[in-house]
Amino acid sequence: MQQEIRKETKMRKNGIFSPSRILVIASHTFTQLVRMKVFYFLAVFAMLMLVASYFEMPWSRTTEDSAEQELIILKSTAMGAMAMFSVLFAIAATALLIPKDLEDRTLYTILSKPVPRFDYLLGKLIGVLLLVGSSLLLMDILLSFILHSRTDALITAEMERGAARGWQQEYLDLRKEEISQQGLTWDLQAGIGAIFFKAMIMASIALLISTFSSSTLFTIVIAVVIYFIGHFTADARNYWLQNQGAGVSTQVKLLSQGASLIFPDFQLYNIIDAAIEGKKIAANIFQRLALLTFFYTGIYSVLAWFTFRKKEF
Amino acid sequence: MEDTPAVQINHLIKEFASPFRKSKVKAVDDVSLKIMPGEVYGLIGPNGSGKSTTMKALLGLLAPTSGSCYVFGKNSLKTDSRQEIGFLPENPYFYKHLSGEETLKFYARLCGLRGKLLKTRIDEMLEMVSLEDARKRRIGGYSKGMLQRIGLAQALIHEPRLVILDEPTAGVDPVGSRQIRDLIVSLKKRGVTVFLCSHLLEQVQEVCDHVGIIFKGKLVKEGSLEDLISIEDQTEIVVRNASDRTLARIRAVIADSENAEFLHMGKPRTTLERLFLEEARLSDAAGNKKGDKDA
Repeated sequence: MQQEIRKETKMRKNGIFSPSRILVIASHTFTQLVRMKVFYFLAVFAMLMLVASYFEMPWSRTTEDSAEQELIILKSTAMGAMAMFSVLFAIAATALLIPKDLEDRTLYTILSKPVPRFDYLLGKLIGVLLLVGSSLLLMDILLSFILHSRTDALITAEMERGAARGWQQEYLDLRKEEISQQGLTWDLQAGIGAIFFKAMIMASIALLISTFSSSTLFTIVIAVVIYFIGHFTADARNYWLQNQGAGVSTQVKLLSQGASLIFPDFQLYNIIDAAIEGKKIAANIFQRLALLTFFYTGIYSVLAWFTFRKKEF
Repeated sequence: MEDTPAVQINHLIKEFASPFRKSKVKAVDDVSLKIMPGEVYGLIGPNGSGKSTTMKALLGLLAPTSGSCYVFGKNSLKTDSRQEIGFLPENPYFYKHLSGEETLKFYARLCGLRGKLLKTRIDEMLEMVSLEDARKRRIGGYSKGMLQRIGLAQALIHEPRLVILDEPTAGVDPVGSRQIRDLIVSLKKRGVTVFLCSHLLEQVQEVCDHVGIIFKGKLVKEGSLEDLISIEDQTEIVVRNASDRTLARIRAVIADSENAEFLHMGKPRTTLERLFLEEARLSDAAGNKKGDKDA
């Protein structure tokens, strides 16, 4: 038995990156978060918001395009809740995990095993993202179900209304198409994907801060501040560069671009608003956004590793 | 026997910055020690003497200010060195949401164990630390002694060649404490090297064959236990059922001998711990007997 174990464990190289070990930490982190009942509460709360928006709709029917407006309100409420919860999940969960491991000394027992620190960090990050992704998926399924049934009901009602008013078939088809565009579409799914991307970046930022921060509260506050700054960086940078006119040196331009690495430009993720408004989202825009997200997440994760690799416990 | 030392610490110095002082605090001051495979080494010293800092440096949790630490020839700052180490920290807390079995599974998988071997190993470890009945119970509901035992099981799950124990019996009742000591003895029999930190001197004396005394960060004394604690110019004789006449004759013989001096004679005493364990054993046996009769 002893030899068998030795063989089994020694055959594994303890390189800096071991997918199986990262998966062990990620799946454990996921379980840990799922068993924290606060997340169940937030999920229930999100569902309640979706249901509440569903019941509010009949009172908003006042204009010709009221069917579309109803669907936009439903999407806006649901996706607003999804965006808020995913970012809160991502920041709070990531900010909580490492200090908790340190406080409970479980970190000692993990790092005293052949576990590289990068694997530990990445495992934690992936675990949080698994939870955020699963929560978003559940909310997405719920939203899709409600949106689909509401769209069908509104189309039926609109067709009945049109038939009663003697609308021509062409106009009826146009109305059907207009209402369907505000229903369940792939563009909407792209918008939800962008919500996940934002949460992904915020989780990696919280991970970076938690590697040098001494308190969970500090990590959460700074991450939230960065989140808000991220929504204004592009405007602020453009405004400043315009004011400086032609006299801006290359170094200053590079500096301003460097600042955009520290504070990610969340305005690029405005496809969420476009998805709510029922606009088309080009596939290449979504792909570029996905690439940008992996770039930001990668940078923050590597920086987190740099500060964590020499950290003493 | 293997020539490479299980542990080799060379002139280890560890300093910590102090927030209110310009000078740094020296937690470990030029400590050097060597532990050969199969030895049970006890590092003893008062609280704050540098025991845990030395252990953390050996585990790569702290980087030495100067000096170096090696585990079976591998630098302790490298991840590979921890393949051979099992570590039980002082007052360990594990993930409360996991059961005992899940905890062992988590640590075993971190060490690379998979499949049938993983399952077998978990069963073995739970049996070894007598926690089979509590395997499905959440760690949050474990007593202090149970936590210490599951901690020991996670430390041994991957069959390490070196086991580092930081105050393994701190806060554990005498029965649990005895179980842990028995486990250390069984590890020693299996050839596992044990590095034990404690300030409970009696325990160290019972299980260790080499001892180092650390005080204010300095290793002030080191050597084999026998060499350190035996009083060379004295001899102890323990006699059973000796009459007063026999004892008087022994004293007379000593008095007649050249250079020999009689120092002390009396009844040897048991320890309070041995007395407690014996009483606990007898009560347990009586309870079982009564249970059998009732049945």
